Amino acid sequence: MSILTYNGGAMLAMKGDGCVSIAADKRYGIQMQTVGTNFQKIFEMGPHLYVGLPGLATDTQTVMEKIRFRKNLYELRENRKISPKVMASMLSNMLYEKRFGPFFVEPIVAGLDPVTYEPFICNMDLIGCINKPDEFVVGGTASAQLYGMCESVWEPNLGPDDLFETTSQALMNAFDRDAISGWGAVVYIIEKDKVTIKDLKTRMD
Amino acid sequence: MTSILCPEIPNAGFSFENCKRNTLLQSKGLSLPKATKTGTTIVGIQIKDGIVLGADTRATEDTTVADKNCEKIHYIAPNIYCCGAGTAADTEMSTQMISSQLALHSLYTNRQVRVCTANMMLKQYLFRYQGYIGAALILGGVDSTGPHLYQIYPHGSTDKLPFTTMGSGSLAAMAVFESRWKPDMEETEGIQLVRDAIAAGIFNDLGSGSNVDICVIRKSGVDYKRTYEEANKKGTRQNSYRYPRGATAVLSTKIQNIEIETTVQHIEPMDTA
Amino acid sequence: MDSDWMNAPHSTGTSIMAAEFNGGVVIGADTRTTTGAYIANRVTDKLTKVTDHIYCCRSGSAADTQAIADIVSYHLGFHGMELGEEPLVETSAAVFQELCYNYRDSLMAGILVAGWDKRKGGQIYSIPIGGMCVRQNVSIGGSGSSYVYGYVDANYKPGMSKEACVDFVTKTLALAMSRDGSSGGCIRIGVITKDGIERKVILGSAVPKFYED
Repeated sequence: MSILTYNGGAMLAMKGDGCVSIAADKRYGIQMQTVGTNFQKIFEMGPHLYVGLPGLATDTQTVMEKIRFRKNLYELRENRKISPKVMASMLSNMLYEKRFGPFFVEPIVAGLDPVTYEPFICNMDLIGCINKPDEFVVGGTASAQLYGMCESVWEPNLGPDDLFETTSQALMNAFDRDAISGWGAVVYIIEKDKVTIKDLKTRMD
Repeated sequence: MTSILCPEIPNAGFSFENCKRNTLLQSKGLSLPKATKTGTTIVGIQIKDGIVLGADTRATEDTTVADKNCEKIHYIAPNIYCCGAGTAADTEMSTQMISSQLALHSLYTNRQVRVCTANMMLKQYLFRYQGYIGAALILGGVDSTGPHLYQIYPHGSTDKLPFTTMGSGSLAAMAVFESRWKPDMEETEGIQLVRDAIAAGIFNDLGSGSNVDICVIRKSGVDYKRTYEEANKKGTRQNSYRYPRGATAVLSTKIQNIEIETTVQHIEPMDTA
Repeated sequence: MDSDWMNAPHSTGTSIMAAEFNGGVVIGADTRTTTGAYIANRVTDKLTKVTDHIYCCRSGSAADTQAIADIVSYHLGFHGMELGEEPLVETSAAVFQELCYNYRDSLMAGILVAGWDKRKGGQIYSIPIGGMCVRQNVSIGGSGSSYVYGYVDANYKPGMSKEACVDFVTKTLALAMSRDGSSGGCIRIGVITKDGIERKVILGSAVPKFYED
């Protein structure tokens, strides 16, 4: 078993029309044993910016703290909100610094640009190689299933309501086929004037 | 001065602080995950007074396609570009690093940088890390001394060649070059040859796929043809799989309203009197 | 998906050679570079310039030998400027040896240093893996050399003419390349005299053949 699959977890982010979504399951486990069902791995980094850190739970929290520190320092120094693009570069550089002793997380960044409100999504591997597609990104132990769901279910220019349904269904149907993901899910729909956070009713087995 | 309340800003360069922990985890029977590889077919040829670089656009994580349209032809300087194969993060980061050093070098010397300088910096950087930075590169550019093409291996050895291929699809692409490359080709002919070499990689090598990117470098300027050819189009969907609204059962909803600040900036014209 | 030829270090499984004649030295090498079983470069130049009158023939890891040659030519360039004249071949060999010996645990490099200087004329120094340095009248190196020791011993004559020496080096390399799988391609020759270097290439189709044809 790989270190990335020690705690389990599934995550995805999608681009919509003027909005983005990011969603994850809530399970916290140690290999096949479920320990908690309310584990947070998506973090607010600004009004329009969220960072998801699927992978080894200890590193999820360590990387979150490190990146939050650097983000705060950036906003203090520059006196402006951090953009998703800068957040992604910052994370990428932070992970690559540990090229030869990495953190076991594969981050996802989702948000709207603080000035233009342009949707942004990206993910990266554990040493910070950024991938910026126009459609969706996935991460965690159910990534193979998520790729399959997203490739068939995603379509361009979804509005916030449809994006929510698409994201939720893609996530739930994917992690139902992964033994170490699930047990509740949370979906964030990020729009220009509001962020909607919904807890989903899922299978609990 | 480090404290819990004020963590130290880290030093430049690689950090090895997680290594001990990671080896421990590994010794407990957990395997280290694989980083994204570019799999890749990358090629470069010399044509009459110029260079043509080419690349596919697939990135793989083990057997999964991690990126269907990634950019493998990296910018080095206005007159130099570089194709990267191997560990995706390594090719991206090392080309970025050398590119920034060369930009400063160019400003400092007030000259256009030369391809041999870029080659030397890359090979010395890779040699220092003894192959652990897994970047296999094809470096091409035009400078005051004409067009130059180099291949650079992860261990830091370089070769100056008139045509070259690298990555998992290099054999398929090399077969095309060995049969059809000739000196002093015209631009259109050169582009066609590079396209065919990349296509050979895309269709015959599993690590390579998706589209063809091409970059033509001449003394007069660079022509970067991102997605020169979409070799594999995704089929159009017959039906919409859109879920009806309300299909998902929701336990709770929270809405965070965001106040949008609009600032109007008046820019005073500079007084030049 | 990743085969050995992608990750194996680039190495010059090689045939290299240098021989003294009356007036200078002849150096020669094949042009094959391999990564595992794949020929990464079929027109490699293993005769690398150190100064105008000193060259080295490289065998072993391509990365290691290129790095060493770059460092030595940097040092000698500097030394030449301080000296105000061309560095000696002996000095060059000493710098090569210093690096090859000090880093013997991490390097894989077998180098022949050959050149011409005013003090001792044409000279050849052999620096095999481990960092020993010894002067020889004729020297061969690389994986292909083991097939042709007898030929060299039987046919080398001190004080040959330039033409005879070039012919001898060409034939020796041709024999080595035909028996050694990791050597091949063309033959590159360099003749170093007081006037500098004179280089030529013998294409694969023009490499001398023996009884087999």
